[in-house]
Amino acid sequence: MDLNDAVIDHLRQVAALPDLTGTRYELESEIGRGGMGVVYAARDRQLDRRVALKVLDSALAGEAQLIAHLEHPAIVPIYETGVLPDGRAFYAMKLVAGARLDQHLAGAPSLGERLRVLRRVGEALAFAHARGVIHRDIKPQNVMVGEFGEVYLMDWGVEAVAGTPAFRAPDDRLSQLSDVYGLGALLRFMLPASAPPALRAIADKAMRADPAVRYPDAPRLLADIERFQEGLAVEAWSEPLWHRLRRFASRNAVLLWLLAAYAGVKFLLFFLRNL
Amino acid sequence: MGGPRGQFPSTQLSLLEAASSGDTLPNEALERVSALYWKPVYRFIRVKFRKSNEDAKDLTQTFFAAALQRDLFARFDPAKASFRTYLRMAVERFAANQHAARNRQKRGGNLEFEPVEEWAATAESPEQAFEREWQRQLFALALGDLRAHCEGSGKQLQFEIFEAYDLSSGDRPSYAALAARHGVAETSVTNYLAWARRMLRELVTERLRGVTAGERDLRDEIRRLWT
Repeated sequence: MDLNDAVIDHLRQVAALPDLTGTRYELESEIGRGGMGVVYAARDRQLDRRVALKVLDSALAGEAQLIAHLEHPAIVPIYETGVLPDGRAFYAMKLVAGARLDQHLAGAPSLGERLRVLRRVGEALAFAHARGVIHRDIKPQNVMVGEFGEVYLMDWGVEAVAGTPAFRAPDDRLSQLSDVYGLGALLRFMLPASAPPALRAIADKAMRADPAVRYPDAPRLLADIERFQEGLAVEAWSEPLWHRLRRFASRNAVLLWLLAAYAGVKFLLFFLRNL
Repeated sequence: MGGPRGQFPSTQLSLLEAASSGDTLPNEALERVSALYWKPVYRFIRVKFRKSNEDAKDLTQTFFAAALQRDLFARFDPAKASFRTYLRMAVERFAANQHAARNRQKRGGNLEFEPVEEWAATAESPEQAFEREWQRQLFALALGDLRAHCEGSGKQLQFEIFEAYDLSSGDRPSYAALAARHGVAETSVTNYLAWARRMLRELVTERLRGVTAGERDLRDEIRRLWT
């Protein structure tokens, strides 16, 4: 037989497709590749709905078991796990219609929207951490923003996934603090060029090389973002005096306007009395 | 062949498992390695050092013989690289030394490169040539396993349909045409193809298992191959 390059490419393509014989699913198309496997759009014939089907590279089923235990609005629900006739493990999950975070950011959303998305991701992380699960591979490509603004943190890691260089903590041993680093890297990635220094400082603090001086957990990072949004001083940044005054003025604008009006009226009365 | 004719090839031991039985790799493991790697090594030497067909064959032969004597396989450390990368680098060092030694012997440095024109048209690097040949050889071996399995288990029809469709280097016949040619239902063609592809995937995995250093190395190779 003539095994030319075209034949080999064809074989690689057809033999890599998941064999769904005997399952309730019908393959539609490939929609992405993540750590340890490929994700396909498929149709669930029994329930007549579209699902996302992640087929893992080997028989590792730990990833599905891991996520199946995490029920959270920002974590994609798992419908079913199983093993294909070819021995590969798979799991079916909700098919999220929307855009990956990097695509979502291309639409230049407001700073408020960016922080909303980041907070949803951080909440999912905090939830998983509380259950002893770490993500290991936080990056824009693993965050989906749905059509109605829902946010999902996808592709929960298994042992073999070591993260993506630009978002990976330089830690010897991956832990929840490595995820805090990843969340900081995600924040830095999401900030526009005009972002306030307090937000940059939050990202920097989360991304310290020494895990001991990062935020101790995701909720502490989120609390600092919340402080920023409420116009309070953030833990990560010792701001200069002029900045503190400006923030004070911005938070107490109404009071300052009233004081100014009062002073103006007093001055006017004083002026009129002396005419 | 990985197993008795007509049966599914037996599960192959990984290189590390094979090596753990003694100081050097047993013959069976070495045969697996040379069955898969002989052609990629030959191709790599030919492209990298611009050797003639005969010289490249000699060097490849010498490399595998020397590898046995020097316990090259025993010195492989899976923590540093995949076995495939390790072997390619070993070939590169070995062939470079041989190449230099031969050129030293020829007084006046009469280099034995082939005319440059032959290689100028080749856009791929020696490493790419090695990878491509490795892939081709891996599929050739797994297809051989599949054919033997089909012949031994009375599934020649399945193989014929698979061969006519998936191994065709020209226009592929339609499922309907294949069904009519072999007197089976079109759904049978679909099922036979799905079965053969699944078997091929399993056989490729088995071939890889025999030349990788354990589950992690195997998983990485599988991932690289199918993505």
